Amino acid sequence: MKQVAGLISTYSSDEFGICSALYELGGMVVMHDASGCNSTYTTHDEPRWYDMDSMIYISAISEMEAVMGDDDKLIHDLIETGTELKPEFIAVVGAPIPYMIGTDLSAIASITEQETGIPCFGFAANGMHHYTKGISMALLAIADRFCTKKWKKTDEISVNLLGVTPLDFSLNGSVDSIKSWILQEGMTVNSCFAMGSSLEEIKMAGRAHVNLVLSYGGLAAAKLLEQRFGIPYVVGVPYGRQYADQLASQLRQAAWTGKSVVSYQKETKRAHSDYAIIGESIACASLATAIEMECDVKIKVLTPVDTEHVLLRKQDRKTPDEDDLIEQLQSVQGVIADPMYQALWSKDSGFYTLPHEAFSGRMYDAVNPDLINRSIR
Amino acid sequence: MLKLAIYGKGGIGKSTTTSNLAAAFTRLGKKVIQIGCDPKADSTINLLGGNPVQPVMDYLREFDEEPETIGQIAKEGFGGVLCIETGGPTPGLGCAGRGIITTFSLLEELELFETYKPDVVLYDVLGDVVCGGFAAPIREGYASEILIVTSGEKMALYAANNIKTAVDHFEDRGYASVKGILLNRRNVENEREKVEAFAKENGLPILADIPRSDDIIRYEDQGMTVIEGDETLAISQVYMELAKTLLEEEDV
Repeated sequence: MKQVAGLISTYSSDEFGICSALYELGGMVVMHDASGCNSTYTTHDEPRWYDMDSMIYISAISEMEAVMGDDDKLIHDLIETGTELKPEFIAVVGAPIPYMIGTDLSAIASITEQETGIPCFGFAANGMHHYTKGISMALLAIADRFCTKKWKKTDEISVNLLGVTPLDFSLNGSVDSIKSWILQEGMTVNSCFAMGSSLEEIKMAGRAHVNLVLSYGGLAAAKLLEQRFGIPYVVGVPYGRQYADQLASQLRQAAWTGKSVVSYQKETKRAHSDYAIIGESIACASLATAIEMECDVKIKVLTPVDTEHVLLRKQDRKTPDEDDLIEQLQSVQGVIADPMYQALWSKDSGFYTLPHEAFSGRMYDAVNPDLINRSIR
Repeated sequence: MLKLAIYGKGGIGKSTTTSNLAAAFTRLGKKVIQIGCDPKADSTINLLGGNPVQPVMDYLREFDEEPETIGQIAKEGFGGVLCIETGGPTPGLGCAGRGIITTFSLLEELELFETYKPDVVLYDVLGDVVCGGFAAPIREGYASEILIVTSGEKMALYAANNIKTAVDHFEDRGYASVKGILLNRRNVENEREKVEAFAKENGLPILADIPRSDDIIRYEDQGMTVIEGDETLAISQVYMELAKTLLEEEDV
């Protein structure tokens, strides 16, 4: 059946993808949702919640405000709180209720910006799309609005990291490992969209030679930065030793040639996939490539979340529904996936766990490995 | 690009006016899209020889997934007008206004304007601005101006006033503004004077005075507009003149 998940969980929503992407940038993020709905985000999807402050709020829309389409209270609260807190920006994030009543979040943002002078965004999320879409729209909006100045390039190759949130990379040290790997390869990190970089650093994105797109959520911003500043992008996550070496080489090459590339796009000789890996397309295709380079296996990616055709290899599949996954898993001897996917695996062995924060929240944080630039074998 | 939303009381002749205007624009060499924003999904039927396009909501209901191309939810009609109907949920269920917003989001995702590159886009909107969904066509990025169709009948003018008030309410949101009135005559007493009084009170021009015509009904029975039926008719020329005026003012 389409759009039915009877055995497995669902991914974090677009609403929370936006919050996650904007968490560290000093903005005031307001989910326009019923009171209590933010606890889903803070409890399950945001591992930084208890250790790092961020101005994440909920509007607590009431039944009568929804029925009457009363936007005035929200606008008043945005203006009052924004004036008091003086955030770098204000983001109003949609949810199921404003989606159903057709609230015009862009217009609300526009009025709030006119009144406060603070840059405002209205994000038409609805809580029913995947987190990937939310990250994508948030990072695109940030890049579009704030990355406008052309900067003088640094002498050494510098890299922007795009599409980085705990929803895909957890807090298991992966992001630090990616930054260390960049340095180790003789390049520098110009900015990270959006973990560990301030908004001021992100504003200087135009200074970089090349962008590294680490998840689907970073691709739209990468395309915009390519169009605006001519910065090429390379798609891939440096998993494994050999694949990380290849990716570093492609980053240097792209910085030199100015041509964007999806790093893992290569034909494999074997027709049949031995294993499957489930999750976000760029992370999974990178990991699959890393394993294939170090072991004699062929792995197909099954991605239930947003992606683009260009991000998938020949054997990879979009699997939006539970039934699609069950069908695809019939033909493989093993699968790498979040532990909560075990419900779809009928064989006695061959299930290899790889926790994914956007799917199972913080439940498996303690056993989530950092696979960046280290031998997979 | 000329982007117009046509509003007015239910049954006042919005779809007839919009379709004839679309046909007139094509006669002037323009590339036109007409989007019917009404659950009844009958806005474009007279551009399509009586063979309707599948409404977007019907497509979603039947296939349970979004279309991948514009061609799956659009049909070219008279003069190459690209006809799209939002349609709506099963009568008595769901939310028709939400259906309009969903359709618009979908058309945006499919990059309708970027790929089709129209000169003119016409949104034919159901009756009154009753909720957020029915204001969607006048939001930023969609129609930039509104035409209100009215006769001299009291309830038609009442609806026209409601529409004008609703639009004024959105002034600080950057929405479309009312461009003018289209008087669609029902032959009531002192009709022109009544509509002129309304127009004057609201500071709006009367952009066209469309006489009641049996030719419209005759050609609609054959599934066509009067422009298609006989462009030389006096009624056809009224629509042609209106189209020219609108194009000249926008410099399209």
